[in-house]
Amino acid sequence: MVQYPPIDRTFAALADPTRRGILERLGRGSATISELAEPFGITLTGIKKHVRVLEEAELVSTEKVGRARRCSLGPRRLDDVQAWIEMYGRMLDQRLDRFGELLERTQHHHPQGDPR
Amino acid sequence: MTNDQKDLTTATVTTPTDREIHIERVFDAPRDRVFAVYTDPALIPEWWGPRGTTTIVDKMDVRSGGDWRFIARDADGSETAFRGSYREVSAPDRIVQTFEWEGMPGYVCLETAAFEDLGDRTKVVTTSLFYTTEERDGMLGSGMEKGMNETYQRLDELLERLAQD
Repeated sequence: MVQYPPIDRTFAALADPTRRGILERLGRGSATISELAEPFGITLTGIKKHVRVLEEAELVSTEKVGRARRCSLGPRRLDDVQAWIEMYGRMLDQRLDRFGELLERTQHHHPQGDPR
Repeated sequence: MTNDQKDLTTATVTTPTDREIHIERVFDAPRDRVFAVYTDPALIPEWWGPRGTTTIVDKMDVRSGGDWRFIARDADGSETAFRGSYREVSAPDRIVQTFEWEGMPGYVCLETAAFEDLGDRTKVVTTSLFYTTEERDGMLGSGMEKGMNETYQRLDELLERLAQD
C-alpha cells in the first residue's frame, strides 16, 4: 500500500494558487525552474520555494539535468479533483476514527452514561 | 468483545463511483449520545480535524439552513479553513451538509450522515458526493440530460429532495 504524506501537508501544498498553477503547467510536460518562473512573474528563489513544498507533498519530483533543475509531476499524478477527493477520503476516515476514540474516552463521563 | 462485535466496529469503505465515498461504522454508544457528541461544537476540536492539527470552531449553527466554518491550525501555526451549510438536521437520525475547503473553493462535497439505532450501539453511515459548483450549475440548468452518469443523477435527486423538504 502506498504511504502518502500527511493530509495537512497536501492541503498546505494545494492551498496556494501559484502552486496549483505550477501543477497545471507541469501537467502539460516537464519544465525547468526558470521556465516555471517566467509565466508566473516571480523570482527563481520564489519558484524554488513553491517547488520544494510541492516536492515534499510528492506532487512534484525534480531532477538535476546539467546546471538546471527539471521538474515534473510527482508520484501522485492526480488532477485537482482526484487529489481533492483522495485527500478528503483520508480525512473523513481519520475523522471517524477520532470520533470513535472520543466516544470511548468519554463513555464513563457521560451524565446519563450506563455505569457498566 | 467477541469477534462478531469487533467486525461490526470496523469501517466499511466503498467507492460506488469515483465521485462518491461511502463509509459505514458501528460505534459502541447509544444513538442519542452519538448524535449529541457529533453535533456538539465544544467537542469538535477533539475529533473533527486531521491528527496533528488544531481545529477551531468559528461557526457551527446546527440546524437546517445553518452555516458552519472550522479553522484548522498546523503545528507550525499556518491555518486553513473549511466551511459549508447544513441542508438538513433531523435529530437523532440524519444530517446532510455541504463541505468546502477554502483553499480550493468551488470543489464541494455533499455529506450525509445517517445514524441507525442498534440499541446500545449505533451505526453511522456516511455518504459523500463530490461535485464542482460549475458541474452543479450546469446540471441544475440542463436538467436530466442524457449521458449524465449515475453519481450526478443521484446527486440531482438528492438536491431535489432537499429542496422539497
